[in-house]
Amino acid sequence: MTETVTANGFKLDTGGQRVVVDPICRIEGHLRIEVNLDDENVIRNAVSTGTMWRGLEVILKGRDPRDAWAFTERICGVCTGVHALASVRAVEDALGIQIPENANHIRNLMMLAQYTQDHLVHFYHLHALDWVDVVSALKADPKATSALQQSISKWPKSSPGYFRGTQARLKRFVESGQLGPFSNAYWGSPAYKLPPEANLMAVTHYLEALDFQREIVKIHTIFGGRNPHPNWVVGGMPCSFSLNETGAINMEWLNLVSSIIDRSIDFVDQVYIPDLKAIASFYTEWTNYGGGLSGKNLMSYGDFPRVANDWSQDNMYLPGGAIINGDLSKVHEVDVRDPEQIQEFVAHSWYKYPDESKGLHPWDGITEPDFELGPNSKGTKTDIKEIDEDAKYSFVKAPRWRGNAMEVGPLARYVVAYARGDKEIKEQVDGLLHDLGLPLTALFSTLGRTAARGLECSWSAHKMREVFDNMLANLKAGDTATSNMDLWEPNTWPADAKGVGHVEAPRGSLGHWVHIKDTKIESYQAVVPTTWNASPRDPAGNIGAYEAALLGTPMANAQQPLEILRTVHSFDPCLACATH
Amino acid sequence: MGIQQTFYEAMREHGITRRSFLKFCSLTAAGLGLGPEFAGKIAYALETKPRTPVIWLHGLECTCCSESFIRSGHPLAADVILSMISLDYDDTLMAAAGYQAEEILEQTIAKYDGNFILACEGNPPLNEDGMYCIQGGKPYVEKLRRMASHCKAIIAWGSCASWGCVQAAKPNPTRATPIHKVITDKPVIKVPGCPPIAEVMTGVITYMLTFDRFPELDRQGRPKMFYSQRNHDKCYRRANFDAGQFVERFDDEGARKGYCLYKMGCKGPTTHNACSTVEWNGGLSWPVKSGHGCLGCSEDNFWDRGSFYSAVTDLNVVGQVESRADKIGAVLAGAAVVGVAAHAAASVISHTKDNNKGGDSHD
Amino acid sequence: MNSNVASGPHDPANQKAVYVFEAPVRLWHWLHTFSFLTLAVTGYLIADPLPSPIGIPSDHFLMGNIRLIHFIAAYVFAIGFAVRIYWALVGNRFSREIFYLPFWRADWWKDLFYELGFYLFLIRKQHKTLGHNPLAQTAMFFLNTLMTFFMIGTGFALYGQGLGEGSWADQGFGWIIPLLGGEQATRNWHDMGMWIMLVFVIIHIYMAVRADIIGRESSVSTMIGGWRLFKDDQP
Ligand code: HEM
Ligand code: HEM
Ligand code: NFV
Ligand code: SF4
Ligand code: SF4
Ligand code: F3S
Ligand SMILES: [Mg+2]
Repeated sequence: MTETVTANGFKLDTGGQRVVVDPICRIEGHLRIEVNLDDENVIRNAVSTGTMWRGLEVILKGRDPRDAWAFTERICGVCTGVHALASVRAVEDALGIQIPENANHIRNLMMLAQYTQDHLVHFYHLHALDWVDVVSALKADPKATSALQQSISKWPKSSPGYFRGTQARLKRFVESGQLGPFSNAYWGSPAYKLPPEANLMAVTHYLEALDFQREIVKIHTIFGGRNPHPNWVVGGMPCSFSLNETGAINMEWLNLVSSIIDRSIDFVDQVYIPDLKAIASFYTEWTNYGGGLSGKNLMSYGDFPRVANDWSQDNMYLPGGAIINGDLSKVHEVDVRDPEQIQEFVAHSWYKYPDESKGLHPWDGITEPDFELGPNSKGTKTDIKEIDEDAKYSFVKAPRWRGNAMEVGPLARYVVAYARGDKEIKEQVDGLLHDLGLPLTALFSTLGRTAARGLECSWSAHKMREVFDNMLANLKAGDTATSNMDLWEPNTWPADAKGVGHVEAPRGSLGHWVHIKDTKIESYQAVVPTTWNASPRDPAGNIGAYEAALLGTPMANAQQPLEILRTVHSFDPCLACATH
Repeated sequence: MGIQQTFYEAMREHGITRRSFLKFCSLTAAGLGLGPEFAGKIAYALETKPRTPVIWLHGLECTCCSESFIRSGHPLAADVILSMISLDYDDTLMAAAGYQAEEILEQTIAKYDGNFILACEGNPPLNEDGMYCIQGGKPYVEKLRRMASHCKAIIAWGSCASWGCVQAAKPNPTRATPIHKVITDKPVIKVPGCPPIAEVMTGVITYMLTFDRFPELDRQGRPKMFYSQRNHDKCYRRANFDAGQFVERFDDEGARKGYCLYKMGCKGPTTHNACSTVEWNGGLSWPVKSGHGCLGCSEDNFWDRGSFYSAVTDLNVVGQVESRADKIGAVLAGAAVVGVAAHAAASVISHTKDNNKGGDSHD
Repeated sequence: MNSNVASGPHDPANQKAVYVFEAPVRLWHWLHTFSFLTLAVTGYLIADPLPSPIGIPSDHFLMGNIRLIHFIAAYVFAIGFAVRIYWALVGNRFSREIFYLPFWRADWWKDLFYELGFYLFLIRKQHKTLGHNPLAQTAMFFLNTLMTFFMIGTGFALYGQGLGEGSWADQGFGWIIPLLGGEQATRNWHDMGMWIMLVFVIIHIYMAVRADIIGRESSVSTMIGGWRLFKDDQP
């Protein structure tokens, strides 16, 4: 009776026990998840609700397009800079502005630094506590931890004394009775599988990573003046090089960038990746859960142009495309301008369209809030007990590619690049699967998603080196330009222009669509990675990536949502991004 | 309840000697602009006090204030969280979720009524009965009010909590409202910036912990130690400003020479912040040093002043239509000149007519 | 025509003089004029600076000097106005005219509309006024007196931010800044104030010169010598 099959082929059962998790913590922004459990505590229905909205698209109307990057950058401070980049690209596209090679290199470097820092922080500070039992680390033998560490990595901070120090600190912390951010959590749950030594190692690296991430973002500080929220500019970058002057970026700062790149590579390859593998080896059953859309529909726009202003896929360090129905033999081209390809639906979102059975391409997009709970929701307007997913139920819109719900993010990028035969990425993926003794299909899972992010973090750290060296070569050849101001003045612009800027952000495919009329923003629409992944249902009944991924997962204890957290966290949700 | 660990004990556990602990205290004193006699006081405070509970709430925001906070190098964010304060609730970092997370709020009220600090990132929207920011099924503003009524003081992190920030920019569709306009019966310490500098954030907290009092605030509720001067007052490009040497275009000759960014719209002259003194990310740089003007991100309503790239900005008199003083003024002055000229011409005609009538010009 | 001049209203024999503007008022007027024009020119250049001079910054102080002149003129402007306020208390009845509008007097309103009609060419015959006519008085009150307060208030509020937190200017005027919505907003309103005053000045100078040429009474010379000369003896 309560069982249905969705258009994208997932079985839903709305019977059984309904469990609500609100707030989902250790994410950016405000997310609510509701699931239905069957008698075996297996998730049979999942509902993802984005519970915040700020209205950036409304706020941008009528403003100077050159200012838009600053507004959109404030969509998110976690993936800081990605919206700013999408925005300047959209405006440059609309006005036909070509950016200098150095600006392209700097933008690539800043985005790669963003990947490296964002992925690292996600793994250790937002995701690790789903797998790592902090309290169990107290029982560890520091000597054994040291041996474990030395067996998997040559990272120098590995002495027994070092781990004993962290353990002692942790002990005092726990004994103080003030558990801080570790209060009321699920320590001791049978769902935690790591031995105490591995837990102690991971907790130690939690602190080390918290310290190290500060270094990576200094690349933003040098080129953009600060982090979070560095500065950008339409036409290039606001920074200049002064190699024979005093006043702008010189050899000292270039050396600092270079040193940060080296240290990032070391940290990721010697701490993050070994930890990831060690933790994964204890949780291989998580290659069976959380696959959701990943085995079916994946998408990436492709990003990191080698040469400036060329958007063809073979110019991308990270090539894009779409995979449909798990057919890796065919990578479809994605055209962000085609009104038939990318569309957003609001039938189940708290927005209004004149005709909600249809989707709108972002250039025709509308953002008009319409908060209303469905007739079957429980509670009151200001005290919601249960959401009614048959009605409108989220501030996240539902973007679709040719009508398909898609998963985006590191896993999608990796599968697309793998399917395209990208050598570097194939090598990385095959290596990891070989080390863990897992088949390729293991990627389509919660663990696969988490692993892909780790591999990408290593890829981005190494790629920074390549981009940096290319930039130095360009400087050496005498090109020091960082911005093109030919079309800076509004009186040089056409009366009517449309543009699109896309970025592969840490969490996936990001696009900004702008319409400029009489030098002002006429309309602005952002379709964001987490908009794709956290999307609610569409009029055809397709469920989104979070909802699909949660299905079929058994929970150890219905009152402790660890399994829900694991899968949802594997996407690295950002709700401020998703709803904007 | 377990043994409460003081900051000093925590540092000792961390392998820090008494000598370097005292050195830390005198550095802290110096960093806060205080004389060496304060170092002893700091040491005493850190040796004897249990960690103060901090409840960190998130409303409508972008979480960049949290991101900035974890960039703090001195003190390290990890040391603040593990040794100086007890960060008992923070949805971005806490391990628990769902009702286990929300339970902590009531536990805190029961245990520390009137004794915890409420750190607010972001702000509550008031439209749609507050339902543009829902937490635990309820409007965020309810949670904010409940916690505020039991806290000791509020720190308003960033421009969102202090002023409203980007979501409150016109037309402010959700009626996002800064903290001090919702909570009027508790001290609110504003730490504006979009985001604020990491070391400013940890500096404000450590000041409160070490001196056991609120930092002195300026007229607008900001700690004087970080906000009493404008970026312009301490800008290293000030010599170029005074000389009249300006960047006219990004990446021009002046940009490469590091000239003043005033003509590129730098808001340093009207922005109270510590960027030009403390600088960002461990004192490495700040917007002006990278070549972009200051956006004025720590100032009230910096979003609605018109283009970030002009020195003269909007008066905000006619909605979203551009309303710069120099443009309106030039039109008004032009109209006055034209009006005067027309009137003069009319006067001459009328005067001549009168005179021709027989000179009875004033009858 | 010549005969008209000899025996008509323009006959010097018909002219009468009244002492209107006392010396402090006249002195202040010209000080006010001079400092305003200086403030306007330097203020404009602060808002929209000149092209950059070349060379090391320590060789130049262009912007610094412009600001310095602005501040010196600002002190002259402000102190002059303070003395003028004092004189309004002790001077003759004309010295008070720019500080208030006698809106409670019916004949003042009647005169105001009369002048309005005159300047719109609806009424031919010009009134005689000893001090300022009601129209001029209204314009002076709003566009000069109030704006002078405003410019001094916002100017010293901004100045106080430079002098520093807790300086006399900050303590005395700093409260204006949050009232106007922050320092950048204060600056922009200060700038707008200049343009509003400039509009007044354009019209004011025109009116003054016009009155001298075709009016019934002396004008510019009154502001120089103090005596109002009536060019006819009709009412
Ligand atoms: C009628 C009189 C005045 C006029 C027309 C005038 C005009 C201006 C203008 C146009 C600006 C530039 C505003 C901008 O950049 O948007 C300015 C700035 C300024 N004015 Fe005035 N002003 C007047 C009186 C004063 C007074 C009495 C003071 C008091 C000290 C003052 C102090 C300032 C200050 C401090 C600035 C900012 C300069 C800077 O920081 O570089 N002004 N003024
Ligand atoms: C060359 C330029 C100027 C000329 C020829 C001029 C002329 C005059 C004359 C003739 C009067 C007397 C009006 C009357 O008889 O009712 C007067 C009064 C006045 N003018 Fe001007 N003016 C000049 C510039 C200015 C400027 C720049 C300002 C203000 C910024 C100004 C403000 C005033 C004020 C406030 C009065 C009233 C004086 C009082 O009653 O205390 N004038 N001016
Ligand atoms: N979703 C998302 Fe972002 C990312 N990565 C945006 O484009 O996190 Ni805030
Ligand atoms: S103040 Fe700015 S940086 Fe901080 S949360 Fe708000 S939008 Fe983000
Ligand atoms: S760059 Fe900005 S802050 Fe620095 S002197 Fe110029 S205007 Fe002032
Ligand atoms: S934009 Fe903000 S970061 Fe500082 S330099 Fe300006 S206040
Ligand atoms: Mg959108």
